[in-house]
Amino acid sequence: MSDAAILARLGALLPPARLRTDADTLASHGRDWTRLYQPDPLAVAFPESVAEVQALVAIANDTACPLVPSGGRTGLSGGAVAKSRELVLSFERMNRILGFDAVDRSVTAEPGVILETLQDYAREHGLQYPVDFAARGSAQLGGTIATNAGGIKVIRWGMTRDWVSGLKVVTGRGELLDLNRGLVKNNTGYDLRQLFIGSEGTLGLIVEATVRLAEAPQAPAVMVLGLPDLEAIMSAFERLRAALRLTAFECFSAQALSYVTAHGQPRPFETETPWYVLAEYDAAEERDTEAAMAAFETLAEDGIVLDGVLSQSDSQWRALWRLREDITESIAHRLPYKNDVSVRVARVPEFLRAMDELFAREYPDFEVIWFGHVGDGNLHISVLQPPEMARADFVAACEQVSEHLFATLAALGGSISAEHGVGLVKKPYLSYSRDPAEISYLRAIRAAFDPNGILNPGKLFDPA
Amino acid sequence: MKVLVAVKRVVDYNVKVRPKADGTGVETANVKMSMNPFDEIAVEEAVRLQEAGKASEVVVVSLGVSACQDTLRTALAMGADRAILVETDAELQPLAVAKLLKAVVDKEQPGLVILGKQAIDDDCNQTGQMLAALLGCGQGTFASKVEPGDGLVTVTREVDGGAETVELKLPAVITSDLRLNEPRYVKLPNIMKAKKKPLEVLKPEAFGVDVTPRLKTLKVAEPPKRAGGVKVASVAELVDKLKNVAQVL
Repeated sequence: MSDAAILARLGALLPPARLRTDADTLASHGRDWTRLYQPDPLAVAFPESVAEVQALVAIANDTACPLVPSGGRTGLSGGAVAKSRELVLSFERMNRILGFDAVDRSVTAEPGVILETLQDYAREHGLQYPVDFAARGSAQLGGTIATNAGGIKVIRWGMTRDWVSGLKVVTGRGELLDLNRGLVKNNTGYDLRQLFIGSEGTLGLIVEATVRLAEAPQAPAVMVLGLPDLEAIMSAFERLRAALRLTAFECFSAQALSYVTAHGQPRPFETETPWYVLAEYDAAEERDTEAAMAAFETLAEDGIVLDGVLSQSDSQWRALWRLREDITESIAHRLPYKNDVSVRVARVPEFLRAMDELFAREYPDFEVIWFGHVGDGNLHISVLQPPEMARADFVAACEQVSEHLFATLAALGGSISAEHGVGLVKKPYLSYSRDPAEISYLRAIRAAFDPNGILNPGKLFDPA
Repeated sequence: MKVLVAVKRVVDYNVKVRPKADGTGVETANVKMSMNPFDEIAVEEAVRLQEAGKASEVVVVSLGVSACQDTLRTALAMGADRAILVETDAELQPLAVAKLLKAVVDKEQPGLVILGKQAIDDDCNQTGQMLAALLGCGQGTFASKVEPGDGLVTVTREVDGGAETVELKLPAVITSDLRLNEPRYVKLPNIMKAKKKPLEVLKPEAFGVDVTPRLKTLKVAEPPKRAGGVKVASVAELVDKLKNVAQVL
């Protein structure tokens, strides 16, 4: 069907204010935080109800017009990119919190609720929604579920998957499924809810979610430590995890810190070290601080830690976190090519050594920024584009890097995408983490929920 | 030259404060307390003066409940040499604080007293000025630069429309403004060292100072909620609203 005919059908469903085709909206809603693809959607629809979402899916099936579900568009794998005349389905108008249940400790909300809004809402009720990451002010609940978002509190609280107790989804066939209904225990066969979490919009559209809340943080304190080498990172992790109730353990390289300080944050301390870690722990009681001091003392005696600071107030807690959280923003102007990989925690040192050697040997001229959530085995590796290099040459070179990187990962049994998802960017490399038999089952599942392939086609994997 | 710095324990800057249900004050139970940010700047300045060889000793003083010791330990970890707590559970208003600080100054005889320009809980901005008056010495308030010289100190002040530079004879009182410096983070080894630094606890009675409050709080309440914005359909409607609802035209 022609674009005009599709637009006419959409126009009969939605008023012009909620069916946009202007260049600005097409450009802004046709892509996420990746800068590898030229956005080119047909239109952007802003439904306000489940019925409208179902009607849009019906039109998509009738007209063979593919849909790209769209949340806060903070993804880093191209999962929300519309580059082939798709209809973008934005959930930003479906942004109501529908209810809080004090007994269940759960919140039911529409998919367009901003993560930070949900976190604030939980806090007002004396609890917390523990999924947290730097894009909290833009990312939307639906998107965080569709990508099974991780973030900075995973070592203590797990991924998004661990907090979703109910989902309403509209499948690619247009049916509304009410999955798990907030139950804690429900052993009645296949748990379809879990399939939709992390499905990247390829099985159905999340139109409502119930998430559990956790107890509020217990006076978190943050220490930032300077370390002499890679080996020290895991030693420090082991010791601090034994001594403290850790809620986060992040590492970043001296180079990463240099970008953040150039971006306006003050250094934590003058001593320059090649590696830094940020450890957050619950410090509600005096003995927590004493344990932290004792652990630091032995780390310093053994040369594992060279220097360190401890937050003395909420303001400093925030400021120290920015040293880690501002990395992505402070290197953004260098158009980094990002890899987000994981291995079992025990294998992190081995992996780090292998990567260090790989980059030194194969790509000595590339500036590589290392940071990540080492406490859960997840590292972010960002290769910065040299100013004099053409974009296409750079991307091609980085894809070469990826091949080497992923081969090493496969040998270690790791994952090519720890928390950013697959989308378009990691699609060519899926086979490094998933074997052919597994992928054939994935295709079969997709066909069951979306037989016409109208939901986010081209993402995750291609049709067989 | 000995430098005396006064620090106050206040509700943390990042906490969203709420009035108590009975309207007698602000809720402080289970609320994060920290050093008043302007006082942090004052401590930083004193420590920098010492590091630059311009101060011989930095003494920090706090007035209030026993938990103020935590605030003093933070100042010690930042680099102060010793601490004094004048411990009391009584409500202390600026005049009482200034009188107590004068008693501490009389005892310690510092060349310079540095305070935050105001505390972020009551926002009074009075203590430094009152202390200078009680001591009969010069005051350099809202300081953005402090340069001690021979028997005097040059202070750049933040004033309306620019900066003013004053020269004060020592001893003098200085209150810190936001741009004076950026306080350092507290190093872990220094937190451990701070535990061993002297912290003297005194009682207000020892100074014979009357700390009875002179002001009575009638009520503490949330500001009235702002009505939400509205969308208008046309310029004519906007003009009408500006005239008749907002009454700004």
